[in-house]
Amino acid sequence: MFLCLGVSVMAFVLTTVVPGDPAVANLGDRASSDPTAVRLYREHFGLDKPLPVQYFVYLGNLLHGDLGESEQSRRAVRIDLAEYIPATAELAITSMVLALLLGVTLGVIAALRRNRLTDQVIRVVSLGGMSTPQFWLALVALYVFFYKLNWVPGAGRLDAIVLPPPHVTGLFSIDALAAGQLDVFLNTVQHLILPACVLAAFNMGLFTRFTRSAVLEVLENDYVRTARAKGLPEVTVVFRHVLRAASPPIVTVVGLAFGNVMTGTVLVENIFSWPGIGQYSYRSATGLDLTAIVGVMLFVAIVYILVNMVVDILYAVIDPRVGLA
Amino acid sequence: MSSVTVLRQPVASAWRRIPGAWRQPLTVVGLVVVAAWLLVALLAPWLAPHDPLAQGSNLYQAPSATHLLGTDELGRDVFSRVLWGARISIPLAMLLVVLAFLIGGTLGGLAGYLGGWVDELVMRGADFVFAVPTILLAMAVVAALGPGLFHAVLAVVLVSWPGHARVVRGLVRTIMQSEYVAVGRLLGSPTHRALAVDVLPNIAGPVSVLAALETGNAILLLSALSFLGLGARPPDPEWGSMVSTGAQHFEAWWIGVFPGIAIVSIVLAFNFLGDSLRDAFDPKTIIKARGA
Repeated sequence: MFLCLGVSVMAFVLTTVVPGDPAVANLGDRASSDPTAVRLYREHFGLDKPLPVQYFVYLGNLLHGDLGESEQSRRAVRIDLAEYIPATAELAITSMVLALLLGVTLGVIAALRRNRLTDQVIRVVSLGGMSTPQFWLALVALYVFFYKLNWVPGAGRLDAIVLPPPHVTGLFSIDALAAGQLDVFLNTVQHLILPACVLAAFNMGLFTRFTRSAVLEVLENDYVRTARAKGLPEVTVVFRHVLRAASPPIVTVVGLAFGNVMTGTVLVENIFSWPGIGQYSYRSATGLDLTAIVGVMLFVAIVYILVNMVVDILYAVIDPRVGLA
Repeated sequence: MSSVTVLRQPVASAWRRIPGAWRQPLTVVGLVVVAAWLLVALLAPWLAPHDPLAQGSNLYQAPSATHLLGTDELGRDVFSRVLWGARISIPLAMLLVVLAFLIGGTLGGLAGYLGGWVDELVMRGADFVFAVPTILLAMAVVAALGPGLFHAVLAVVLVSWPGHARVVRGLVRTIMQSEYVAVGRLLGSPTHRALAVDVLPNIAGPVSVLAALETGNAILLLSALSFLGLGARPPDPEWGSMVSTGAQHFEAWWIGVFPGIAIVSIVLAFNFLGDSLRDAFDPKTIIKARGA
């Protein structure tokens, strides 16, 4: 709660103490030729009031779940967000799952083959994932798989001729399955797979590095040697004894990885014309739409806090030594 | 004071382990690539075969002998522009890491050393910044101040100081609690001496790891902002904005691909360096405190 308040203050100050004038940015040429339009615009958005008043009005509305009105879309930011969040959620969750599956697998392999060639190759791959600019990776992927090979459809969440499934969760893949529209589901997956993979690259590297060091630490323990000495198959040793003990640090990174995904979506959504909050926040930032930007920031901060809360709970579930106090 | 020197063992052994880390093939690769890019940045005016801003009549030329990496939509030589790009990205990234360290390190050092409400204030501030994804915050700052390289640098400093603050705070706290600092106190040495003699040399190693990793990240974030049109402005040969130009000319793939490779190579090299150095020092303090 304290954190939310802090973020709201920070975000508000950031976007208010600006040399750029939102009225000019959004009215364009009319701003210089039509002073009345500027005045009406300022009055409509409460920009004519002193800053502290603006903030308290904003905070008061916030407590009612009202994030204010976007200066670009002329709609409540809450409604804008509700429209764009499902698209981002679908993309982000898919990429997180991909990154976790790949990263943990590679990390375990790297740790078991420590300092051998396999380990070095995985090191290069994982650090490569963390070193490649996502905007560039997205473009190269589009060029190769869409432009040259035509394996995947291009931008957007669905082909232009395909109607979205009936709205339940807003996640097209789940909604399509729920409605029994298999063709829509397949189309969604085709559109989803490339941006999700691009988005997963950075976190895949992160998970690999963390899994490797966590597993290495566990491998040194006596009980692992005992398990092996008992003649347990390596698979059992790895899954039952090592991975479980190594999971707390890996779970912790998931919270951090969430921040990376949100950063990635801004770039990836722009390139893939994905109608999510990444694209929305970029448009708002370039349009000096302070209400919208603050709304996005607050929403993301709240999700960040929730994700980390879940991580803490998971941590306690995995590691009985940690209390839930 | 010789007794103090002996007691500073843990760090001495960490330093001794570095030569082994330097012998790792990937570390050598990282070192060579970083050195090569630094040379390119220094010598770009002499290395580049063409003026990076000179527009020619040969538009969209594929890579050839005269234009090694082809020409862009205004007939400029992509190879020369990539070389000149090093002069923008690398010095800026380094400046940025130094600034972020000065701010974050000072705040974190004070927080760790003084504790109490200073600690609370600095760490809560760091939490705020961590809760908002870097690019969102940086975008908001740049959008607020107006696009431009300088503003992009400011934005990146603003989002990257907390990482340094956390690392330095953690290190200072650990060191302040260690025995050799207590011994120094018992011997009657004043606090500022403890800071200068015991604390500063001990944070140098982990901080250098962080600096290597952060330089790579800074290059990524700066180029991302430029890609979005919020950093470098045309016609500056900045790698991120060159990729952005390439995105509008898909058939001429060389316009966007090569600047991207430049970014990958230098960031990867910094990550190789940081990763090997991290193995040489205590790996946990840095990874955990850095938070990414």
